[in-house]
Amino acid sequence: MVEPVFFAVATITVISAVAALEAREIVYGALALGVMFISVAGLFILLDASYLAMFQIGVYVGAVVVLILFTVILVKREELIAPEAETGGKLRSFIALTLALIVGSVATVIGTGAFKPVEVYPYSIADVGLNLLNNYGFGFIVLALVLASALIGALTLAKMERGES
Amino acid sequence: MEPLSHYFVLSITLLGIGLYGLTTKRNAIRLLFSIEVILNGANLNFVAFGRYMNPPTVSGQVIAMFSIALAAAEAAIGLAIILVMFRLLGSVDVRRASRLKG
Repeated sequence: MVEPVFFAVATITVISAVAALEAREIVYGALALGVMFISVAGLFILLDASYLAMFQIGVYVGAVVVLILFTVILVKREELIAPEAETGGKLRSFIALTLALIVGSVATVIGTGAFKPVEVYPYSIADVGLNLLNNYGFGFIVLALVLASALIGALTLAKMERGES
Repeated sequence: MEPLSHYFVLSITLLGIGLYGLTTKRNAIRLLFSIEVILNGANLNFVAFGRYMNPPTVSGQVIAMFSIALAAAEAAIGLAIILVMFRLLGSVDVRRASRLKG
């Protein structure tokens, strides 16, 4: 039994994911990627994770898509219009896709029948924050350091002159 | 409520789309798109399992949050590398970035 809301959001997710990879111009691909991020946020709301949905929209749509758009603008335009040459990896990718789907279906049939969810999710945003800081506090600090060093590294790379490499 | 298997099938589909992109595309920016698609599928799995556990848990959401933050860092680094690559090679075709090939 598929609920219509889930079906609609899932369809938008898959279609926009394919469009992001197959759009002729990469700007449209970036916009389709933004649509995919928003629809995944919709799925998070269906899973009662509304704070995570806001987080997803803020970080992905607000930061990552904008970053990608800036990069696309900075990279020369002719490069983007020229159709991409295929790598001849169609067979490999078909095998990878089929394997992923088979493994996924088998695991689904075997594994997920045992999950009987509770109807009302008992946790609120406050519980998410408490769990984050109580159980994953060290990881939180390490994540902050990783983010800081990643941004410093990205700035250093972007500032690098032609002769310095 | 929706059975867990539907979320699982959706996330495995996103994984498949991402793998397809990773193996067939040559544009470095498209490869980054594929990685983002795969990461979103993984996050969806974390959140779905956290919700469908009995008793339910919030750890799935917390781990998905970590994953989103790391994906943002990865995108910043990746796009900086793509900019440097474009400056050095005049192209974002990963096939042409073979200077370090042995």
